[in-house]
Amino acid sequence: MSPDFIKTICPYCGVGCGLVLKVEEGKVVGTYPDKEHPVSRGTLCIKGWSAHEFIHHRERLKTPLVKKGDTFEEISWNDAIALAVEKLKAAAVRHGGDAVGGLSSAKCTNEENYLFQKMIRMAFKTNNVDHCARLCHAPTAVGMGQTTGSGAMTNSISDLAGAECILIIGSNAAESHPIIMGEIYKAVDRGAAVIVVDPRKTAVAENAQIHLRINPGTDIPLLTGMMRHIIDEELHNAKFIQERMDGFEELKKFLRSWPVERAAKECGIDEGEIRKVAEMYAKAKDAAVVYCMGITQHACGTANVHAVCDLAMLCGQIGKTFSGVYPLRGQNNVQGACDMGALPNVYPGYQSVNDPAVKEKFEKAWGRELSREPGLTVTEMIGSAGKEIRALYIMAENPALSDPDVNHVLESLNKLDFLIVQDIFLTETAKFAHLVLPAVCFAEKTGTYTNTERRFQLLRKAVEPPGEAKGDFEIICLLANALGLDFSYKHPGEVMEEIALLVPDYGGIRFDRLEKAGLQWPCPDPKHEGTRFLHEGQFTRGRGLFIVPAYTPPFEKPDDEYPYYLNTGRMFAHYHTGTMTRRSAFLNREMEGPYVEMHPEDAMKAGIREGDRIRITSRRGSIVTAARITERVARGSIFAPFHFTEARANILTNPVLDPISKIPEFKVCAAKIEKEPNEKQEK
Amino acid sequence: MLGKVKDIARTILAEKQADGILGLIKGEWDIVQPHIFENRGEMDALVIEPKWLLAKMAMAVLRSSPEGYRLAVVVRGCDERALTELVKRNQIEKERLVTIGIACTGEQASACICDRPYPQKLDCGDAVAGVDPCTLESVKELLAGDGPARMEKWASILKRCIKCYGCRNSCPICVCIPCKLEDQVWVETGVIPAEVLSYHLIRAFHLSDTCVACGACQEACPVNIPLLALQLSMREMLRERYGYEAGLDPERKSPILYDLCKEPAAGQTLPDWVNSLRRDDES
Repeated sequence: MSPDFIKTICPYCGVGCGLVLKVEEGKVVGTYPDKEHPVSRGTLCIKGWSAHEFIHHRERLKTPLVKKGDTFEEISWNDAIALAVEKLKAAAVRHGGDAVGGLSSAKCTNEENYLFQKMIRMAFKTNNVDHCARLCHAPTAVGMGQTTGSGAMTNSISDLAGAECILIIGSNAAESHPIIMGEIYKAVDRGAAVIVVDPRKTAVAENAQIHLRINPGTDIPLLTGMMRHIIDEELHNAKFIQERMDGFEELKKFLRSWPVERAAKECGIDEGEIRKVAEMYAKAKDAAVVYCMGITQHACGTANVHAVCDLAMLCGQIGKTFSGVYPLRGQNNVQGACDMGALPNVYPGYQSVNDPAVKEKFEKAWGRELSREPGLTVTEMIGSAGKEIRALYIMAENPALSDPDVNHVLESLNKLDFLIVQDIFLTETAKFAHLVLPAVCFAEKTGTYTNTERRFQLLRKAVEPPGEAKGDFEIICLLANALGLDFSYKHPGEVMEEIALLVPDYGGIRFDRLEKAGLQWPCPDPKHEGTRFLHEGQFTRGRGLFIVPAYTPPFEKPDDEYPYYLNTGRMFAHYHTGTMTRRSAFLNREMEGPYVEMHPEDAMKAGIREGDRIRITSRRGSIVTAARITERVARGSIFAPFHFTEARANILTNPVLDPISKIPEFKVCAAKIEKEPNEKQEK
Repeated sequence: MLGKVKDIARTILAEKQADGILGLIKGEWDIVQPHIFENRGEMDALVIEPKWLLAKMAMAVLRSSPEGYRLAVVVRGCDERALTELVKRNQIEKERLVTIGIACTGEQASACICDRPYPQKLDCGDAVAGVDPCTLESVKELLAGDGPARMEKWASILKRCIKCYGCRNSCPICVCIPCKLEDQVWVETGVIPAEVLSYHLIRAFHLSDTCVACGACQEACPVNIPLLALQLSMREMLRERYGYEAGLDPERKSPILYDLCKEPAAGQTLPDWVNSLRRDDES
């Protein structure tokens, strides 16, 4: 039989590139880039090119598993569903519906996320549903929501190529969103200026005209210093502010306490440089701000987002093409999981759970009484495991690697009465489960993902799942029906039609409209062509709002005992907890194991050479990893990628939360380094 | 032109000249993607736009299909040249390959900076004149200056490389197993950018006499590195010194592999050790 070629969407990051999968005899044997894709246009990164490699891995889960003592035993689907229902119901009956929680998944489709939150909300009358956006862009959803009315990227990816000035703060797009980096380079080739703000000298910084190597966690001082200078020099857009903004007087008053000199001192950047970049941004015809985890993963993450929005709105660089604010979303469908209401405080389409009219609308549509109390977040659910939360249902998330202070997470998971994990591999989290449900991967299902530019895109099924594994869609329906709900959906397209009825912004989304190039929401009716950029003419919330950013320095600073700043993040060949990439031969060849970056001078002082085994310790635990000596990190700082189970960087990270969005401070904690004896020497 | 391509394709299947036809299909909702047509009924859905290089896929299909399976491929000039090189290098058996040659438009030739936008065996469409890349200012600038100046210029461009391996993966001629770029002796793993000398120049020199200037590498590059220009100097030199161009003459071997002893380039003296390369059948 000759091979088939199937177009679909990449399962890794939020860029949502187009793939053409090559299928031979029921197996995906190759990946090619999609020449016609509106975002990636025939290009892919190393992960995209390798997207087929984990699909048929021998460790794929093929049957439901139940924990017996310390081992797992296979059970039938009927028994698995019956057991899940029995235990979830028991927790709800004994301790109330709020004792049940669900972690939905930014890896799953919109339809699956919609059904997941609907099931949790209906079956248990609780809003305890959240997902890993809590750990990445929760501050964006809240912060941009407050300032503009929408927590989504304002413009389209292709707009970046037309910008005159691009300010990149806390984003290593070259490794984490490579195809977006390509759009930025297009702008550079047309003469645009790129300014990078990052404590690390990343590949993005290496290719920028200006790199501001700020002290960790001092984004707000830098941005306020820039805004102060812009106002002092009257470079702000007074017309835009007058016509479209509220809160300018408060912002101005606040900026009086932040002269450029103070900002410079706090963030460790020369005053002149701050003035220069402020002018570059303010004077550009079209200027864009791109940001990522370097802004959000702080205990003042939401305030950081406020500061970014304030800068853009101060200069009127929002609500038009080639400008705007670009939070780069991490997971392939983290935008969609948020959009679909897999969040404890909102229903699909960001409709608040404690708004009586909204509650009534959903009660009427779903035919059940719902809770008006906002539920618990990811970190709160895990923190209260065994106490408020007795049973947890985790769909395709891996908190045992991705959440801060992992040792504490593992203790918490052990305290649950019942843990269900639904995934494609036996992840570090699944090992703690009482019941494991085998699900399917991107190549084995149909549905939609929404990328970072709000584009709904269609996923096409290329091959059948392994063994008895079932699609998340089917599993949720089985469970929901067994819990007494009526989830008689036959196809994800039906679910999308239901969503379109409940969320005005997605009113025009239909499967048969997504086939060619997808659609960017808002798309209110079936004739609407989608929206390339938001806030044209007026903000989603009406008038834009300046919010005074409440700066708090990093919770932990280096001291005598823990003398280094530890920063965590991603590297180009792996993705998040490595469940897929570390089972991909080509990616694993590129990077086989964990490492930590340290500055040559620090290494010399500590007598550490390239490749030496070193122990990193923070107040929460320690890991052993290999030293990589490089000037990418500043003196006194170290950087560890969080992909590697054998040296989980999140054992070290600080679980202190941003009070508003509840995101943990992944980006900064204090740590120390010790040289470990060589493995060989030990023997 | 499309009608004629379909007719030829139908005839090829009817006369059993090939078992399948690799081309582009416009399926439901106007989605275009590569496809292998095995029955004449499907042929209505065959399209030839957008330009989508198929040579590498053709090789992969032939490798994984049963012995004796013959494949016809809808080819543009660059695709045909790539397939010719693959046959010359024993990657494809000539007997198993049929081509349906189509010409590119002038617009396409300019977009690709292609100086030969048509196949040698042209079945459909009219050949238009191409664009000589060496005459373009942008290309001249990339190749201007002495060695150190060029090195500096290219190092600053190649610093963007995110090591996606797209240039290698998409190149129809990159077929070595194992690939030198996966050898840690030459290319350090786990860091970007890839080193200029050991990654990009190994790749460029490996292709020096086989690059057919299809531009697949450049099209696949997410960070807009002008990779085609990197090959240009060597292609030009082979053309000037030996009158040789990869992918044109199926019978003529690369002068680098073969003709160095037999016909040294004009004005060049060969060192004595070259004699040891002489093969017995040539004396």
